[in-house]
Amino acid sequence: MRTNRCSLLIAFVAAFLAVTFALPCRLPGQTPSAQPSGRSGKSATQWSVQVDRVDAGNLDLSHSFQIAIYENLVVELHKTQRFQQVFRAGDVRAGEFPNLLVLKTAVEKYTPGSETRRAVTTVSGATKLAVQSQLLTREGEVVFERTVNGDVRFFGSNLRVTHNLAHNIAKAIKQSYLSGSEHQPRWSPGQL
Amino acid sequence: MDRFVVSCNHSKTNRLARRRALWLSIAVLCCTLTAPAQKSTQVGDTGAPFSTRATHLLGFANARNNGTGILSVQDQSLQFRQNGKPRTKVKIALLRDISLGEENKQVGGLPMTLGETAAPFGSGRVVSLFAHKKYDTLTLEYVDADGGIHGAIFQLKNGQAEIVKNELMAQGVTISSRHVQSAQQGAAEVGHEDK
Repeated sequence: MRTNRCSLLIAFVAAFLAVTFALPCRLPGQTPSAQPSGRSGKSATQWSVQVDRVDAGNLDLSHSFQIAIYENLVVELHKTQRFQQVFRAGDVRAGEFPNLLVLKTAVEKYTPGSETRRAVTTVSGATKLAVQSQLLTREGEVVFERTVNGDVRFFGSNLRVTHNLAHNIAKAIKQSYLSGSEHQPRWSPGQL
Repeated sequence: MDRFVVSCNHSKTNRLARRRALWLSIAVLCCTLTAPAQKSTQVGDTGAPFSTRATHLLGFANARNNGTGILSVQDQSLQFRQNGKPRTKVKIALLRDISLGEENKQVGGLPMTLGETAAPFGSGRVVSLFAHKKYDTLTLEYVDADGGIHGAIFQLKNGQAEIVKNELMAQGVTISSRHVQSAQQGAAEVGHEDK
């Protein structure tokens, strides 16, 4: 009898622990249907993105850097495979897509570096860029906003900073939902 | 007496001939020195295809990034031909903007960098101090058939980008005024690198 009780207690505790740890945390009002459909969501909205030109503002950022950021962004966003189409600025086909997001990039900070100084000293001469990236809907609503940094510290030319920056922006967009975006997204990269 | 007069006249004639020969050789030397410059400026006037060696950094049509090849202006298009690859081209009419810049890069690429790192007693750093070279960058903006903006960057030998720009401008490409400032800034950046 005692053994039976003991095994029953153990079974109950095991079941409780299983329920506690195995099931994800869910808010009381949250129903499973309210959760994003994730990557499997084929029926979910297919978003496309149009990459706008880089706005250097009043900063002395050379034209080659602006162009390199723009081109690298197009390549890196393609690589994420989260968007149905990646359009360039001025592309007339973008107007035909109803679910279009526009990626705006404004340079906030630029520290020119030196490849020679990097090679000689290792610790100084880094080229750094900080940009504000925004994804806007056609109506102008901001659905993603993040300040992203890029730099080249050791090896590589100064222009490599643009590749690192674009890679970081694409990564931030890709992970924005997974990291619990501050914006309640009407879109989700997981749905793309 | 007669002999003295004759020898005097002879030496005068010799001196004159030497002077003429000197002036002639100076003139020939000057012509030889200015000939290459004359050749490069004539290219645009005669309409003969212009070409120069360049490294494609990114963005030009379907060309491979960081590939070296020949950049040429011919048949109303800007063409880039890499070794063993089909040539890629963009019509000059589709070019929207050109800007120039300067970059200071380490020579030798990755092997050189690794060699410098591996060199004992930090001697590689001393090598790095001298193993850099100035390059011109040529940045182009062009549109595709759908109106989408593309950008391309080429790296050329110092002084070559200006020639390409002039060649393209002669074919009707316009330059946005905002890049005049950025070109000056680019030069300032190189100055910063030199410090």
